[in-house]
Amino acid sequence: MENKNKSDQLIKATRELAFQNEEKEKRAAELIIADKELLFQTQEKGKRAAELVIADKELVFQTNEKGKRAAELIIANKELAFQNEEKEKRAAELIIANKELLFQNKEKEKRAAELIIANKELAFQNEEKEKRAAELIIANKELLFQNKEKEKRAAELIIANEELIFQNKEKEKRAAELIIANEELKKAEYHIVELNIGLEMKIVERTAQLEAVNKELESFSYSVSHDLRAPLRAINGFTQILVEDHLEQLDEDAKSVLDEIIENSQRMGELIDNLLEFSRIGKQNVSTVNVGMKELIESVITELRPQYPNRNIKTILNKIKNIKGDKNMIKQVFINLIGNAFKYTGKKDEAIIEIGSYQENKNCICYVKDNGAGFDMQYYDKLFGVFQRLHSSNEFEGTGVGLATIQRIITKHGGKVWAEAKVDEGACFYISFPNC
Amino acid sequence: MLTTNIEILLVEDNKSDARLAIRALKKHNLANNLIHLIDGAQALDFIFGKGEYLGRNIENKPKVIFLDIKMPKVSGLEVLRVIKNDDRTKLIPVVMMTSSKEEKDILESHKLGVNSYVVKPVSFDNFSKSIAELGFYWLVVNNTPQ
Repeated sequence: MENKNKSDQLIKATRELAFQNEEKEKRAAELIIADKELLFQTQEKGKRAAELVIADKELVFQTNEKGKRAAELIIANKELAFQNEEKEKRAAELIIANKELLFQNKEKEKRAAELIIANKELAFQNEEKEKRAAELIIANKELLFQNKEKEKRAAELIIANEELIFQNKEKEKRAAELIIANEELKKAEYHIVELNIGLEMKIVERTAQLEAVNKELESFSYSVSHDLRAPLRAINGFTQILVEDHLEQLDEDAKSVLDEIIENSQRMGELIDNLLEFSRIGKQNVSTVNVGMKELIESVITELRPQYPNRNIKTILNKIKNIKGDKNMIKQVFINLIGNAFKYTGKKDEAIIEIGSYQENKNCICYVKDNGAGFDMQYYDKLFGVFQRLHSSNEFEGTGVGLATIQRIITKHGGKVWAEAKVDEGACFYISFPNC
Repeated sequence: MLTTNIEILLVEDNKSDARLAIRALKKHNLANNLIHLIDGAQALDFIFGKGEYLGRNIENKPKVIFLDIKMPKVSGLEVLRVIKNDDRTKLIPVVMMTSSKEEKDILESHKLGVNSYVVKPVSFDNFSKSIAELGFYWLVVNNTPQ
């Protein structure tokens, strides 16, 4: 048993040794590999050492760089401290700004409230705009309709245009005809010029004749004025002398005859004076001024009134408009008219004379109305004739020139004169002045 | 011939008018020294001592001349022109007498320097009054510079 154990042990140990040999061979192989690995690593370490030298140099450089950087950081730090202070200041400012923002917020709220109102307004306006849009749609339709109408009209215009072109052609034809007619007219004109020259010569001749006649008439009226008055003056004067110086030799009948002569010669003198006045007005030119009628009528009444001292005369001057005319001539008109009114109311207990004016169309109509003897309208056409009288001189004295003179003056003013009357009830004379 | 001072020179061609004028002046004691001439030519001869009045003392001037405007030969206006254009006579007052109211005559007379102008009225009463008033004014009231 011991040997067996020993053999077993020897076997085991041999086997162990074999195994270990194997293991050592494996280990030797591995060592060779490891040796190779070590060689390789040694080479790598050599490389690495070289790299480390380089890295070391790099580190030194980096250390230097870090020193520089630290200095820079100190500066940066200071800078940050300064920035902190600045930020504090800024924070204080921000608080103020914050308050401001709060205030602004409130304002914005107000504004928002206002905007709400404005919004409502806009909403209303939108509605209006919608309505308007609806209306525009209608208007648009209307326009469309009108456009169609215009198109129709355009079509019609094209037709009308064609018609015009046709008419133009007709007119051209007519123009050609007119040119021919014009030439004929020129011929006729030439003839007329010839005739005119003849007529002008005749006019010159006639004018000369008329001027001669006019001069004759002037010298005639001068003679009437001068030469007819002289013998009348002699008749009147010597009869007067007879009455004054030889009265005791005359009986009543002879004296009354002489009075008749005196009276009639005076009357003829008046007739001549009135006739001359009448013809003088015919020659006179109207020098137009603005005539203050109220003042004019008042002055006429003041001048005439003393001629009738014992009469009861009431004059009423109504509203009267100013007129444009020759002051002297217009005054003569009213002297004659108002003088007539005074005269022809002579047989009335109370004479009432009314003067005034009224407007009719563009004319100013003046009137003089009295309650006197009037006249018979049957003889109206004789009223304004020269030397025509509707009353005998026994009833009312006068020469029959007054109304004729009035008519002449008023005609010269482009106006009219007319009258209305009733016997014994009075007369009313009207004078119209144009454009006043 | 004509030694007394002439007061009125009446130049009037119409005998009747002259007679009536002289009578009116006489009635008012104004016709004591009155000369009546019958036309303008005679008036000029008298005033300037020519023709039939050659040698008359022309210093013996009338105090007033009554001059009818319308006369044969030389008219009143022509006489007036000569009188008013001559230094010897232009101070003698001249009264123009006429029957007419012709405006051109009145205007012409005033241009020539007439002193008065009278239209002879038909009525003798008025005529007499006018003549007498003018005579009185120029003989008695007015002081003509010598």
